[in-house]
Amino acid sequence: MALLTVKDLSIGYQTPRGLLKAVEKVNFSLEAGQSLGLVGESGCGKTTIGMALMGLLPENGRVSGGSILLEGRDLVTTPEDEMRKIRWSQVAMIFQAAMNALNPVQRVCDQMAEAILVHRPEVGRREAMERVAELFDLVDLDRARMRDYPHQYSGGMKQRAIIAMALANQPRLIIADEPTTALDVVVQDQILEEIKRLQGKLNLGIIFISHDISIVEQMCHFIGVMYAGQLVESGTAREVFERPMHPYTQALIDSFPTLTGDKRLNPIPGEPPDLVGEIPGCRFCDRCPKPESSCRLEPPAWQEITPTHHVLCDHCEDY
Amino acid sequence: MSQATPAILELKQVGKVYQSRGSLLGGRGREVVALKELSISLNRGEIFGLVGESGSGKTTCGRLIVGLERPDSGDILLEGESIIGLKGGAWRRYRRKVQMIFQDPYQSLNPQLTILDSVIEPLVTNRIGRPEERPALVLEALKAAGLSPPEEFAPRFPHQLSGGQRQRVAIARAMVQKPSLVVADEPTSMLDASYSAQIFEILLEMREQRGTGILFITHSLAAARYLCDRIGVIYRGRLMELGPAGEVIGNPGHPYTQALLDATPKFGSTGEIPRYGTLLAVPRPGEPPRQGCPFFPRCRLGREDLCAAGFPEWSSLSPGHQVACHRWKEIAAAA
Amino acid sequence: MSTAADMTTTANMSLHSPWRRRLAESWHVFRGNLLGKIGLSLLCLFGLMAALSYVPQMIDPAIYHPMTGVDPLVGHAAPPSLRHWLGTDFMGRDILSQLLAGARVAFLVGVTAAFMSVALGVSIGMVSGYAGGWTDTVLMRLADMIMVMPTLLVILILSSLFGRLSIWTVVLLIAVFRWPGVSRVIRAQTLSLKQRPFIDAARVSGAGHGRIIFRHIMPNVLPLAFLYMTFRVTSAIVIEAALAFLGFGDPSTVSWGMMLQWVWKTGHMFQAPWWLLPPGICISLITLSFYMLGRAMDEVLDPRLRKSQQQAD
Repeated sequence: MALLTVKDLSIGYQTPRGLLKAVEKVNFSLEAGQSLGLVGESGCGKTTIGMALMGLLPENGRVSGGSILLEGRDLVTTPEDEMRKIRWSQVAMIFQAAMNALNPVQRVCDQMAEAILVHRPEVGRREAMERVAELFDLVDLDRARMRDYPHQYSGGMKQRAIIAMALANQPRLIIADEPTTALDVVVQDQILEEIKRLQGKLNLGIIFISHDISIVEQMCHFIGVMYAGQLVESGTAREVFERPMHPYTQALIDSFPTLTGDKRLNPIPGEPPDLVGEIPGCRFCDRCPKPESSCRLEPPAWQEITPTHHVLCDHCEDY
Repeated sequence: MSQATPAILELKQVGKVYQSRGSLLGGRGREVVALKELSISLNRGEIFGLVGESGSGKTTCGRLIVGLERPDSGDILLEGESIIGLKGGAWRRYRRKVQMIFQDPYQSLNPQLTILDSVIEPLVTNRIGRPEERPALVLEALKAAGLSPPEEFAPRFPHQLSGGQRQRVAIARAMVQKPSLVVADEPTSMLDASYSAQIFEILLEMREQRGTGILFITHSLAAARYLCDRIGVIYRGRLMELGPAGEVIGNPGHPYTQALLDATPKFGSTGEIPRYGTLLAVPRPGEPPRQGCPFFPRCRLGREDLCAAGFPEWSSLSPGHQVACHRWKEIAAAA
Repeated sequence: MSTAADMTTTANMSLHSPWRRRLAESWHVFRGNLLGKIGLSLLCLFGLMAALSYVPQMIDPAIYHPMTGVDPLVGHAAPPSLRHWLGTDFMGRDILSQLLAGARVAFLVGVTAAFMSVALGVSIGMVSGYAGGWTDTVLMRLADMIMVMPTLLVILILSSLFGRLSIWTVVLLIAVFRWPGVSRVIRAQTLSLKQRPFIDAARVSGAGHGRIIFRHIMPNVLPLAFLYMTFRVTSAIVIEAALAFLGFGDPSTVSWGMMLQWVWKTGHMFQAPWWLLPPGICISLITLSFYMLGRAMDEVLDPRLRKSQQQAD
């Protein structure tokens, strides 16, 4: 049984203007020890999926269809008091802009101990502190800094602390939402190495959410490219980046500067569509470089390129 | 009067020190050296990349160039004349020639002013054009920045625009008075990768069509490689390497540049990029040496006797490609 | 594509229409705010009262003048009747005309005093916050000194020293004593605004200190200033009413506070509810309506608070 299976997941937000369909019929699955990169621009729905996996959708967000099976158990139908036990102990999140996730007026060790004790109050404070020390070792943080406050940590150290907190209760699945956005490139490299090492050591499943395709290419076994709430291409990292089939994936790759490339970048013109209201055909056709007449009227269907590589496009061509 | 050199802006041994105030409980204020003996010259119409991490002083350098702050030592010359201490008309003339694009599109536009008001500001304060001509100049600048049709964007407020659109407004504001040099301080670091490409495109067009020079401040080597003619690598306030973009990335002469390359994801790169391994996993303990090379504590190739003793001289790897490293010869030989 | 001439025309149109458009937009936003509508309606009612205050005298000055019109037929405090819709006071003067005149005074005193104190407070606050250093220290110490003085008490003392003060002197004094509160808040906001990148951007664009303060910082503090102004109106009206009630007001003006003083002084507190209640209710309602207006103005003046235009990010 796969660690995580997401089937036909749809999520909407109630806004004053109407129902915003943030995620539409997304399917993917993940085994333990593997990582999936969800990549796309802001507003494509990737963060929404991350929040839904944690059961942390805001007030006006609701799963309108589909299921999220974590080791066979459907998180969509799980009631909140059960979710509270699952959250942080089976699935944990490393947030974007980690600075905001640490309480500035509490010592780091206390915050981590709290994360442990909330889920296993029987453990007791002393044992919790020992576990905190182990966690510090695990993420290469100096034990001597345990009793410091967050503002005394550098950006990289704070991020390691956040990772340690996420790992405190030995979860099976980690959702990393842009974990290195605010970090310098050298620190980013170190943190990404750290995450990879921990994944190998603890056999974690990781969902890596980012708009930066260079990071997900480096970190993930599988890639899901998202656009306007839909998964438009999915496959192994190699397949998606060496042989991208969806025009959006191709355009995304074309608009990314590389260390050795000499060609002129082709930025994708325009903006993503408004997700309130019905969109009859393909959601990308306004910005697609090669739209066909049927694209606007009929929604595209999933095409299989290889058993692992799928595309949501009726007219896709090779790169 | 200066001769017709290609250099439009020169920084000569510029230094800047910040005092952090002591805490109430008795800690004394510390001196933070933001820049030390920085010398760069920017050529007319050139896109120059200043690459460094946070705390490297690259933003300070940008702020000094546009006059938001004054250097503590050294000089900054625009077309041969010093800009330090300029006032009145001379200052206004300087302002017309040098402009800035800020990093955060969510904070660099006044939320209470319409787009038109924000972009027209430099025309008003620098008395450019007659009042009735100014709105047309604004619309032209908005169009050049890719906001079409400009009439639709002009009366809106910043919060009604996306981050990418706001950054274009910031570009329009910088460009509306047709400056000779624009300092772009990490203009894409807060935008998605797909919007970044749009901004790069606009910057390239600015240079192609108007001959505007750009000082592109960034932490991304890939972006610098794509956009820039020359790159300068800065670490803890000191310039470490300087040269044509392709050269600096293809044949880095400084251990820090090599460390940056190691850390940069190699997405889409054709061919092999070697792994240099010049960064120490654990920095050497203690404060960085006051007189020596600031990279010494983290440099695998660092030698106490050389590197902690004094800052290295500038050596030439090839025409236009210079590096400040005591052990540059060995590094070049190993390449 | 549009020629340069076309562009100039459309550009000029958008230059002029921002103000017209902004006014139209503001009205549209305002209409959507319930508190604002209630507040504005009440204020319109009071405004109407103030405008109508000239009418009774025109009908028959001898009977209906608020100060001097004594009805020979009724020489005492009489309950409401057809001749006198709200009844008469102890001298036989018409209460309704007094109430209408009081509305006029309330608006004048309230709005003028509030406007002056806020104008003063905002300017001082912005300059203080922006300049920093000695300017800031001196101005804020001055503000502290004034703030600790009890306004009402000082005005009372002054009037007992100098005799009864005219209404305009009272207004001026209220302004002078009430600016520190506003200035502190505006100063705090200025301090935080000063650091924001768009101020740096304005500097790089070439704006001098004055322009930065009045063009860039002021629009951002105005919403707060307007909010404070509405509070000041309420406190100015209440101070004036209190002064009048205590007998220190301007005897030649009829205000609601004056009316309350007369009720009390002549011992009619519990005998003439038609005389006691109207001024009291009016004072409460007008302060409430200014408060509601202030809340609505907050939404109008800060474009980001408008619920209808929020962008899903």
